[in-house]
Amino acid sequence: MISIAALLLLAGCKKYLDEKSDKKLVVPSSLADLQSILDAYSKMSFGEPGEGEVSSTDYYITDANYNSLSKDNLRRLYTWQKDYLFESLSNSWYFGYTSIYAANSVLDQISSVPPGAERDNIKGQAHFFRAKQYLNLAGVFTPAYDPATAGNDLGLPLRLNTDFNAPSVRASNEATYQQIISDLKAAIPLLPVMPLSPIRPSKPAAYGLLARTYLFMRRYPEAGRYADSCLQHFSRLIDYNTLNAAASYPLAQFNAETIFFSVMATPAPINPSRAKTDPDLYNQYTANDLRKTVFFKRNTDGTYAFKGNYSGMLAPFGGLSTNEILLIRAEAAIRQNQTTAGMEDLNTLLKTRWKTGTFVPFTAALPAEALELVLKERRKELLNRGLRWMDIKRLNKEGANITLSRTVAGQVYTLPPNDPRYALPIPEDVIQLSGMPQNFR
Amino acid sequence: MYNFYPKNTGLLRTRHRLHKILLIMKFTIIILAATILHVSASSFAQKITLAEKNAPLVDVFNKISDQTGYDFLFAGSVLKNAKLVTISVKNEELSDVLTKIFKEQPLYFALDNKSVVISQKEERTFDKIKNALQIPIMVSGVVSDTTGTPLVGATVINATSGKAMVTNDKGEFTLTAESGDQITISYIGYSSYTFTAANGLQIQHITLHPVYNKLTEVVVSTGYQDLPKERATGSFSVVDRKTLEQQVGTDILSRLEATASGLTIDRSTSNRPQYIIRGLSTIQGPRAPLVVLDNFPYEGDINNINPNDIESLTVLKDAAAASVWGARAGNGVIVITTRKARFNQPVSTDFNAFVSTAAQPDLNYLRQMSSADFIDVEQQLYSKGFYNDWINSNTHRVLSDVVELLRSPDANTASRIARLRTRDVRDELNKYVYQRSFNQQYALSLKGGTANSNWTASTGYDRNISELDALYSRANARFQQVWQPLKSLTLQAGLYYTRTETRAGRQGLGGITQYGNALLPYAQLADEQGNPLALPKSYSSTYLASLNGKGLLDWNYYPLQESRNNSQTGSQQDILINTGLNYKLPLGFDIDLKYLYERQNSDERYLHGAESYYARDLVNSFSQNTTGTLIRNIPAGGILDNSADILSVHNFRGQLNFNRRWGSHALSALAGSELRRSLRTSTASRVYGYNDDILTFGTVDYRTAYPNYISGSLNYVPDGASLSDIRNNFVSSFFNAAYTYQGRYGLSLSARRDASNLFGLRTNDQWNPFYSAGLSWQISDEPFMKMSWLNALKLRATYGISGNIDPAMSAVTTIQYAEASPYTQAPYSRFINYYNPELRWESSKMFNLGLDFRLFGDRLSGSLEYFRKTGSNLFGTALIDYTGGVGNSIVKNVAAMSGDGLDIELHAKVLTGRFSWTPALNLSYYRDRVTQYNLASTQGSSFIGSNPTIAGLTGLPVYSLFAYRWAGLNPQTGSPRGYLQGSVSEDYNQLTGPATQVTDLQYFGSALPTWFGSFNHQFAYQKFSLSISLVYKLGYYFRRSSISYTDLYNNWRGHSDYALRWQSPGDELKTDVPSAIYPAQSSRDAFYLGSAALVEKGDHVRLQYVNLAYEMNRQLQLYINASNLGIIWRANRQGIDPDRNNFNNSYVNPPVFALGLRAHFN
Repeated sequence: MISIAALLLLAGCKKYLDEKSDKKLVVPSSLADLQSILDAYSKMSFGEPGEGEVSSTDYYITDANYNSLSKDNLRRLYTWQKDYLFESLSNSWYFGYTSIYAANSVLDQISSVPPGAERDNIKGQAHFFRAKQYLNLAGVFTPAYDPATAGNDLGLPLRLNTDFNAPSVRASNEATYQQIISDLKAAIPLLPVMPLSPIRPSKPAAYGLLARTYLFMRRYPEAGRYADSCLQHFSRLIDYNTLNAAASYPLAQFNAETIFFSVMATPAPINPSRAKTDPDLYNQYTANDLRKTVFFKRNTDGTYAFKGNYSGMLAPFGGLSTNEILLIRAEAAIRQNQTTAGMEDLNTLLKTRWKTGTFVPFTAALPAEALELVLKERRKELLNRGLRWMDIKRLNKEGANITLSRTVAGQVYTLPPNDPRYALPIPEDVIQLSGMPQNFR
Repeated sequence: MYNFYPKNTGLLRTRHRLHKILLIMKFTIIILAATILHVSASSFAQKITLAEKNAPLVDVFNKISDQTGYDFLFAGSVLKNAKLVTISVKNEELSDVLTKIFKEQPLYFALDNKSVVISQKEERTFDKIKNALQIPIMVSGVVSDTTGTPLVGATVINATSGKAMVTNDKGEFTLTAESGDQITISYIGYSSYTFTAANGLQIQHITLHPVYNKLTEVVVSTGYQDLPKERATGSFSVVDRKTLEQQVGTDILSRLEATASGLTIDRSTSNRPQYIIRGLSTIQGPRAPLVVLDNFPYEGDINNINPNDIESLTVLKDAAAASVWGARAGNGVIVITTRKARFNQPVSTDFNAFVSTAAQPDLNYLRQMSSADFIDVEQQLYSKGFYNDWINSNTHRVLSDVVELLRSPDANTASRIARLRTRDVRDELNKYVYQRSFNQQYALSLKGGTANSNWTASTGYDRNISELDALYSRANARFQQVWQPLKSLTLQAGLYYTRTETRAGRQGLGGITQYGNALLPYAQLADEQGNPLALPKSYSSTYLASLNGKGLLDWNYYPLQESRNNSQTGSQQDILINTGLNYKLPLGFDIDLKYLYERQNSDERYLHGAESYYARDLVNSFSQNTTGTLIRNIPAGGILDNSADILSVHNFRGQLNFNRRWGSHALSALAGSELRRSLRTSTASRVYGYNDDILTFGTVDYRTAYPNYISGSLNYVPDGASLSDIRNNFVSSFFNAAYTYQGRYGLSLSARRDASNLFGLRTNDQWNPFYSAGLSWQISDEPFMKMSWLNALKLRATYGISGNIDPAMSAVTTIQYAEASPYTQAPYSRFINYYNPELRWESSKMFNLGLDFRLFGDRLSGSLEYFRKTGSNLFGTALIDYTGGVGNSIVKNVAAMSGDGLDIELHAKVLTGRFSWTPALNLSYYRDRVTQYNLASTQGSSFIGSNPTIAGLTGLPVYSLFAYRWAGLNPQTGSPRGYLQGSVSEDYNQLTGPATQVTDLQYFGSALPTWFGSFNHQFAYQKFSLSISLVYKLGYYFRRSSISYTDLYNNWRGHSDYALRWQSPGDELKTDVPSAIYPAQSSRDAFYLGSAALVEKGDHVRLQYVNLAYEMNRQLQLYINASNLGIIWRANRQGIDPDRNNFNNSYVNPPVFALGLRAHFN
């Protein structure tokens, strides 16, 4: 009797034992599963590196604010120290590679789902996210791309699958950028022009990111070409006259210029409660420039805090928007001596930033003048997006000779052009656990 | 009723319970003073009906006692010479019956006030002479069991001469003796029988009774079978009802700490107290032992069980004991056995009630920084502009009272600050928040039995009011019935119902919070008249004042009103239905079928009333005022959260048992299989704008992000909804056999396989086998070991493999769906498990060697056990290079360990007279060490945290305590100093970074107690009995907390050590507390907090409880009980209770005093 019962049991066993232990748990296998991984917005899009912005000088903090920072590493970051700039475990390296793992999981599984437009879309998104994170990390942790040395410069460990037990090995900077390019080129044909939400990557977003990548590599013809491809699909601009400059955040989330939406982490020094806009920069905005009121809030002490985030919230915008792409196309054109085309792009943008009826188009007789103008407007337009740090690195390679300087409690800290400290040290705990070489300090 | 007598009053009484008689037989001193009590509650007739043939005298006593309520009083040795009784009477007077019985006995009896007092007959002169001649005589007999089957190989020993033999294949024996010699016949599993050799003695027909009929026999229950402890090879610790009753309280398991051997409750490596049986078997896997109620694992809330329903607790400690539970037994098993009735039992009633109370907690235990010190710090920070960015923050971050005063100074600022300096929030907590706690418990149970059925019915009610005025009430009802319609068929059914109600009380420490979890030391909860005051909480009070008139709800936080404005109630119903069938087959086989169904419904309702801070804060945060009119995106009103959780469990077991004895062989075996399915579903929901009077509620838009009223950042309205559905299916098959030869040599084997649907396990891994084997040797039954002082001696050894299922382990990547993303309206997911091909199963093996003994007429008894366990492929949290993308730590097979230990259990009867003293000692020693270590990180800082981690060095205990080496304070600056590559350093980033490896740290010792146990004493004098229990934990270390300046400045979290800080040169000789610096440096704080300066020895001895009972009469007992009496000795000089060290806001529970009454009626 027992044995009959046992036999019956065992017969029913297979099904009984295959039942899911938690209905919410899933082995990612369907298209919906893979899309749901990429839709985890807080992991994929809500913590892009803010360290570059902290290290650049569009803002400053007072000595009192400096001393009151709760974390010692932030003081070190602010003053360009050579090590211990990151809190162990919670930093951009962590965020970046966590997102890369998610993208890799999708790419590992994608061939097992039925082909079609949806699969293409998801695969394209994964390639885009991976490229986005590698570019973010390269901007912070590797030196400026220099074709002469990139083959030997230390780049990032390139993780292209989900085997987390594999040791981390740093690729060259060249290989790092090539990976970003190949991911984006793979993504472009797969992605739709219009995504469900700007939080999902799209074809124009991939073109735009590729343009940004080539810009950082100082390969201006490609930068211009892909910026143009992006703008072919997406060229909406906001007329700043329509904005309520008095609002806490005049620019809305998912506003008309947002091609791809993501936000940066907000390390304490760049929190608008502390960060005060560099007065020289603030003074560059003229009276009729609406950005002067849309972007800035006057503090009680007469300084200015930035509030023009395209994220519509306190955390800085880390995504892609039309204004950036337009400026890339303008700069690329000017650097290729197509000054007129470049100036036209610049004026197209700036016209929407001026009070109605007050805008007088900018002109430049010489390419050098035009370049100076477009770089100046680039800094003014793309404030607080983490882009300035990469621009400084890149422009110093172009010979701009920008020396950063800060004074804290009477002590002056400087960061000369092309200093090795432009590649931030990889968090010490990562070096310790992986045995990878640290950036040259 | 027996349970109601103090064990050692010096009086020997029996009363219609055989086991009582046997228990008392162990005593050798009789005091027949006029202390015998008379209770006139008996309703039994004194007419007796008996029909016995060759029955032992004690059995007859037992029957008479059952029918009359009379006690039999005698000294243990008196019955030694008693003869078997054959008698047949119907409705005769007690005295007549006794006369008939005693006619043939070498005994006298006397009736005395409801008692029968028995004494030895004086030898007659003739006998004395005859005995003096010592003529050899022949003694012969036939030994059989109660069914008449001859017992082959039973030992017959002449205890006087030492000669021994065994019975032949017909159970017969013949030996020579001298008149007066004591002849003892014994057989394992049966009670031995002794008679006096005498001339002219007829052939003895000796019937031996199986021991498992004896209730005094310690029976261990594995949940699959009940077996006498004497026959077990495994390691068990049994706590009987009498011992359990020395403690009072709502729950049952917590009583184990002071009573069971080999078990300790760890309160240092985790925030939740963990029951640990014989050290850790796993590092990362679930650590809780399996709790079995009667026959099946109990899945419901363990607090549902009414302690008054419990007969005994058995802790299964070694692999042989526990392996029958397979994959879930790796951490040991605790088997709870409920009280049961017997057949032919008159109805009896038990009642127990107690009330207990404890004083308000002593908040002075908190290491709180003084208000004056705190305000000094705030004033200094203010002067340095520290608060500027708090003040300027667009979130209008909360500022303390002092900072608000400093920010807008006026003529009264100085005096108001001076007043705050003298305040202490603990005074107000004492006055308005904490109170005396008050618990009550009532339990009534009835049981009875006829010839073919028996039943138990019980009910209980508990009502506890906590020190925060929270309510917990529990009502239990239980009914259990057994029928025996046929001789071979037993049916059993039971129902156990529990209903609990809870109501949250006031917010106390940790509940009243201001910024983060902090509470300012000078926080004001009420004004002088006791009116609730607003406490700064999330936003600056100056800023909130500026919002007046904008149509918002009052945004202030009044902690003392919160309990009135919130209502958090819960209820739980638990129903347990069990049924069973046992059918006896020929040849010693029987079939057991058991089914259990459990369903537990829990409902929680949390109403954040319209006036609660939570509701007002959320409504205000989601209000908007862009156009001049206030728009509420969340309607004003209450917020109602409902959640429900349903657990249902099905258990089915089919088991074939075999019990047979042939010749000198005995085999007892069982085999069967089991199905188990547990399903847990839960739902949660929320409504906004709720009105509790008319049950109306509002609507909100969850899909639109609204700007926060204050900061402007975008947020979605939290929907408060969640669903879950978790089901675990298990299929198991098991086999268990115990073979005995000649009653002396035992062999046990067990095997089990388990399979489950735990997610992601490959089918190959699902059927996990677990084995064990054991040997036992009843040494004292060997003829050569017959010594008068040696009552019993048994050696046993077991070896086995047990397992530990960790559902978190997975061979595949899994994701879990979360709620819908507000951006895409599609659910997003997160990773739960990462495919890790390097994972291997964890395995744990245990060897156990035990020696049980009873010596000197049972004056000293106990057991001594040595065990050794090895664990390989143990899971642990390993820090990994997070470039891998799966986070900074992962569960991996990180280590192998081996551990060994001793469990010593001693019971002594030191004084057994009028004043008796019986101490009991449980002493356990446990040590383990890492034998293999595979972690990538050996950076020192990974081994220093508030919770101990796995040691990074082989040869050290699994949980080791390390600290940064300490070089004292810098005499000039008061900064802490450590050692970097051997030289004194203040480079804290290096000291706490990769430059300090685990080998550079100072190793102290185990973070878990290596010696632990309890030392209990029972004293009795006349009607009083007193129990005192000491619990101790020795041989370990812990890290105490201290001041972190980073925490102090940024999180308002101070520490009384601030007062001891270095302030001027020379202080370094008196203190280890670093100087205060500004700005604070987090790595400097981390270094100091992890340094050797803060490591303390954890050793302590605690007075666990004292119980004083007074027996008013045989039916009523009064008792008073005191528990939580605190530490009576500790190694640390800081006054820290190492069991209450781990958490913020933890205070030492005050002593609990209980007054109770127990009654038993027939």
